[in-house]
Amino acid sequence: MTCHALRRQILLLSSALLLFACGGSGGQHVAADSPAATAEVRYAKGFTIVDHAGYKEVKIASHAAGSRDTLEYLLLPAGAAVPGGHPGARVIRVPVKSMVVTGSPQIAEAAFAGVAGRIVGVGSGQYVFDSLVREGLRTGRVRQVEAEDDLNNELLISLRPDVVITMTNPDAGGSRYRTLLQAGIPVLPDADWLETTPLGKAEWVKLIGALTGREDIVNPKFDSIAAAYQRLASIGRSAPQRPSVILEMPFKGTWYLPAGGSFMAAFLRDAGADYHWAGTKGEGSLALEFEAVAPEALKADYWLDIGAVDSKKEILARDPRFAAFHAFRTGALFNYNRRVNDAGSNDYWESGVVNPQLVLGDLIRILHPGLLPPDTLVYYKQLK
Amino acid sequence: MKERPIKRLRLGGLLLLLVLAFLLDLSTGSVHIPLKGIAGALFSRSAANPAWHFIIAGIRLPKACTAILAGCGLSVGGLQMQTLFRNPLADPSILGITAGASLGVAAVMLAGGSVAALYAIGAMGMSGSWLIIGAACIGAGAVMLLVLALARRLQDNVMMLILGIMIGSLTLALISIWQYFSNPEEVKDFLLWTFGSLGGVTGGQLTILAAVVLAGLAIAFLSSKMLDALLLGENYARSMGLSVGTARSVIICSTSLLAGGITAFCGPIGFVGIAVPHIARFLFNTASHRRLIPACCLIGATLLLLCDALAQLPGTQSALPINIITSLVGAPLVVALLLRQTTIHAW
Amino acid sequence: MVTVTAAPRAQQGTLLAAHGLQTGYGAGSSAIVVARELPALELKAGRLVCLLGPNGSGKSTLLRTLAGLQPTLAGEITIAGLADRSPSALAKKISLVLTDRVRGNHLTVYTLVALGRYPYSGWLGSLHAADKAKVGWALQTADVEALKDKPIHTLSDGQYQKVMLARALAQDTPVLMLDEPTAHLDLPSRIRLMRLLHGLSRDTDKAILLSTHELDLALQIADEVWLLQSGGQLRQGTPEDLVLNGTFEAAFAEEDVVFDKEAGTFLLHLAPGKPIGLSGEGTALFWTERALRRAGFKLTADAPLQVRVRSGPGGPAWEVAGDVVATGVDSIEKLLLAIR
Repeated sequence: MTCHALRRQILLLSSALLLFACGGSGGQHVAADSPAATAEVRYAKGFTIVDHAGYKEVKIASHAAGSRDTLEYLLLPAGAAVPGGHPGARVIRVPVKSMVVTGSPQIAEAAFAGVAGRIVGVGSGQYVFDSLVREGLRTGRVRQVEAEDDLNNELLISLRPDVVITMTNPDAGGSRYRTLLQAGIPVLPDADWLETTPLGKAEWVKLIGALTGREDIVNPKFDSIAAAYQRLASIGRSAPQRPSVILEMPFKGTWYLPAGGSFMAAFLRDAGADYHWAGTKGEGSLALEFEAVAPEALKADYWLDIGAVDSKKEILARDPRFAAFHAFRTGALFNYNRRVNDAGSNDYWESGVVNPQLVLGDLIRILHPGLLPPDTLVYYKQLK
Repeated sequence: MKERPIKRLRLGGLLLLLVLAFLLDLSTGSVHIPLKGIAGALFSRSAANPAWHFIIAGIRLPKACTAILAGCGLSVGGLQMQTLFRNPLADPSILGITAGASLGVAAVMLAGGSVAALYAIGAMGMSGSWLIIGAACIGAGAVMLLVLALARRLQDNVMMLILGIMIGSLTLALISIWQYFSNPEEVKDFLLWTFGSLGGVTGGQLTILAAVVLAGLAIAFLSSKMLDALLLGENYARSMGLSVGTARSVIICSTSLLAGGITAFCGPIGFVGIAVPHIARFLFNTASHRRLIPACCLIGATLLLLCDALAQLPGTQSALPINIITSLVGAPLVVALLLRQTTIHAW
Repeated sequence: MVTVTAAPRAQQGTLLAAHGLQTGYGAGSSAIVVARELPALELKAGRLVCLLGPNGSGKSTLLRTLAGLQPTLAGEITIAGLADRSPSALAKKISLVLTDRVRGNHLTVYTLVALGRYPYSGWLGSLHAADKAKVGWALQTADVEALKDKPIHTLSDGQYQKVMLARALAQDTPVLMLDEPTAHLDLPSRIRLMRLLHGLSRDTDKAILLSTHELDLALQIADEVWLLQSGGQLRQGTPEDLVLNGTFEAAFAEEDVVFDKEAGTFLLHLAPGKPIGLSGEGTALFWTERALRRAGFKLTADAPLQVRVRSGPGGPAWEVAGDVVATGVDSIEKLLLAIR
C-alpha cells in the first residue's frame, strides 16, 4: 500500500469512528423513564431535580398537616410534548418569564439568579428589601397579591404569571390555591423554611435557577458559596475558644429558643459557639420558662439575635432585669438588624438566606475576634 | 362573746395559710431550688449562687408580690360590685373597665401596626412594656369616665349593669375587627396577653402597681360605712343620710383603680373577684365591710398565690397561664357556692 | 331633692309642716302630678297620723315626698330644728320603714338594727356605748330582742317588719314614717304591730305617720287621719269626725260598697228583698242584723215577719213571729233555716 493510501485509510477509519461515536450518542434514544443525570442537590432535603433529555423532573417534599407528600413537577420548554410515565405530575413551562412570590427568601433567590426583574407580584409589599422589586412596587410593575388572610385571586389571575411560588403545599389547606390551579396557573411551593441547615436553605436557589433557565449562573455561584461556607465552618469548629451564647428575648415569661436540630443551632455549631440547648431534639423552637433560661442567660458571653430592639435602652425598656446579664454588662450584644431599610424591612430575612457564608462570617467575627481577617459585619451590628 | 376566740383562730389560721402560700409560690418553678436556697437568696448579702439569687429575687419574688396585690385588689373590687349591685354574681369587670383596658391594649397590639401610630405613642415617652400598660390605663380610664358621667344620670343600678354589658360587647366587636385585619403574629401576641400573666411586673412597674392597688384598697376601706348602708338598698341608705350619687362615684373610682390597674399590668384575670367575697362572707359570717375588706384581701392573696404555684405545673418544665388556673379553680368554687342554697337564696 | 328649710319659730310640738305641696314625678312641663291641691299638713309630737285612701290615690308618693325620698313639684316642707339641708341632718329628723325588702345574706338582726345608727356612728361604722344602748332599747321596744343573732333571711314576715321598725327606732328621730307596714302580715301580726305603734306614740314623743289599708285598726289607733281621695284631694281630721260628717262614706263610695257609720265597717250593698222586723237586746242583736242583711232581708219596722232576740242564761235565743212561727231557736243558723 502506498503512504497516501494508508493516510486515506486512517482518515476514513478515524472519521468513521468519530461519526460512530457522535452518531452513537445522537442516535441513542433516551427512554422516557431512564434518568440520565440527577442535578446535584447536596444539602437541601426538601427537593430533588432530575435531568431528563429535554425536561427536568422536580420532586418537592411538602409537609401538609402532618402528612409528608411529595409533589412532582415537570419543567418543560414551551411547545414540548408532555412525556409519559409521570402520573400526577404537574407541568410548568420553562423558562418562566414572570413569577409571583409570596415569601422574602424567594425574592432573594430570584435576585441571586439575576431575575428579580421577572417578579410581577409579591405577597405583602410591606417587607421587601430588594431595591428592584421595591421600585417595581412603587411604579406598579410589581403588585401586592395578599390581602388579610387570603390571596387576591382576581388580581393574580389577571397578572397571568408563569408560576406562583408559595411557602406551603398548594394542595393542603383547602381552597386557598384551588382557584389559581383551576385557572391554569402553576403553583409551586418553596419550602426552604423547613430546612435544618443554612446551606440546605440556600440551595433552593437551584430551584429558581431551574425554573428560570439560569442554572448555568446559579449552580456555579452556589457551589462557590458552599465552598466558602465550608471553609469558614472548619475554621469556626476548630476555634480555640467556645464562647457561650443566648438568643432571642422572653415575652411574658416564656422564652422561645431554637432547638438542637434547627438551622440556627447548626449556624452556632459551625461558628464554634457553645449553645446550651444544642443537644435538644426538635427542629423548631423550645418554649421555656424565663427562669429555666435565666441561669444560662446570666452567664452567657454573647447575646445574639435579640429581636425588635436597637439599643441597650430599648432592651431595658422591655425588662429592666436584663441588666443583670453578663453579655449586657460587657456590651456583647449583637443583633441582625444592620441591613434594615427605611420601611422597616430586614435584609437578613431576604438575602441573608441565600448568603449563609456571609452570616457565618459575621458570627465567627463576633464570637472569635481575630480569627478571621478583619472586615465589617454584613448583617449583624453591635447594640449600644 | 363566745365568737371572739373562734374569730381570732380563724384570722390566725388564714394568716398562716397566706405565709405558707407565699413560700409555696416562691418554691415552685422550672428550676428546682431548695428552701435553704430560697432563704439564702432572700436574706444573705453575698450571692452564693447568682443564678438562684436572680431567679428568686428577680423572677419569683416580684411575681409573688404581684399575686398578692392582684389577689387583694380583685377581691375587694368584686366585693364592692356585689354590694353596689346587690348581685351575688357581680365581679370587678361588670362595669366594663376590664373591657376598656383590653381595648387599649388591642389598639396598640393589633391596630397600632402602622409605624406612625407607634412612633406617636413612643413620642409620649412610653416604649416597650410601658406602651402596653399605658394603653391599658387609657382604655380603662376612658370607660371609667364614661361610667361616672352616666352614673349621675341613671337612676337605677340595673341600668348601670346593662351599660357595663354593652361596653363589653362593643369592645369585643372592635377587637374582633382588628384581629381580622391583623397578621397571625400580632393576633397571637394579643391572645397571649388575654391569658394574663403575673410575671414581668418588676422594679418601677411593681412600685406603681402597688401604689395603685393600695390607693384603691384604702378608698374601699374608708368607704366601709357607705358600703354597709348600701346593703339596705338605696332608699333606706338615702334615708339614713347617705348621698347615693357620691357613694356610687367613690365606689366606681375605687373599683376602676383596682380592676383597671391590675388588668393594665397583668392582663385580665377572672374568677378571683367573684368567688373570694363569698368565701370571706362564709368564713367570717359577717356582712360588715370593715371586716370583710381585710378578709377579702387575705383570702384573695392566698388564693392567687396558690393558683400561681399551681400554674407553674410543679414537676414539669412548662407552665400554664394564670387565667386558666383561676378559671379551673374558680368555676367549681362558684358552683359549690350556688349549691349552698342558703348563701345565694338569701340575695 | 326635698326643699326643706329650718323653721323660724316652730309651733309648739309641730315637728314637720308642709305648705302648698304638689307631689308627682318628673319636672317641668313633662311632670306627672299625683296630688295637686294638698292642704297644709302638720305632724305634731306624740301624735299618730294615719294616711288612708283607696289604691292609686297617691299615698306612697305623698309619704315618700314628705320623707325626702322624692322631690316636690311645688311647695315647701319645714322641719323643726333642722340645722342644714344636708342628707345627714335630715337623717337625724326622719326615719322610715318602707316596703323594700332588704336582702343580704349573713346580715344578722343586730347588725341591721345597728345600721340605724348610721347618722351617729364612727367613720368606719363603729358603735360607741351610747349607740349600743340605743340599739338595745330599739330591739326591746320592737320586741325583737330574742332574735338579735338570727340572719334576716330566716325571719318571718311579721318578725321582719318589727326588725325594720327597730332599725328606724335606733335611728332615734323625732319623726317616724311607715309605708304600708302591715301589708303581707297575718291578722295577729297586724294587730300587734299597730298596738306597738300606738304605744310608741304615747310613750315616746315621736310624731308617727303611717299609710295603711287597715281601716279598722287605723280608726282605732289614729289620733288624726289624712284621707286621700282618688282625685288627689286630701281631707284631714279626727277619725270619728270624718266618719260622722260623712267624709269616709264619700271617700269610699263605690257601686256595691258602702261605709256604714253605725257599724263602723264596710257593708256589701246587697239588693234587699223580703222585709223583716227585728227587735231585742245585747250583742246578738247586732250580729243577727248582719246575718239577716246577708241573707237578703230588708229591715223594716212593721213587717209581716218579726224576729225577736233575747239574751238568756244559756245564751241568746230567737223567736220568730208572723208569717213564720218558730220558738226555741238557739243559733243563727237555725233561725235562717226557719225563716227561709
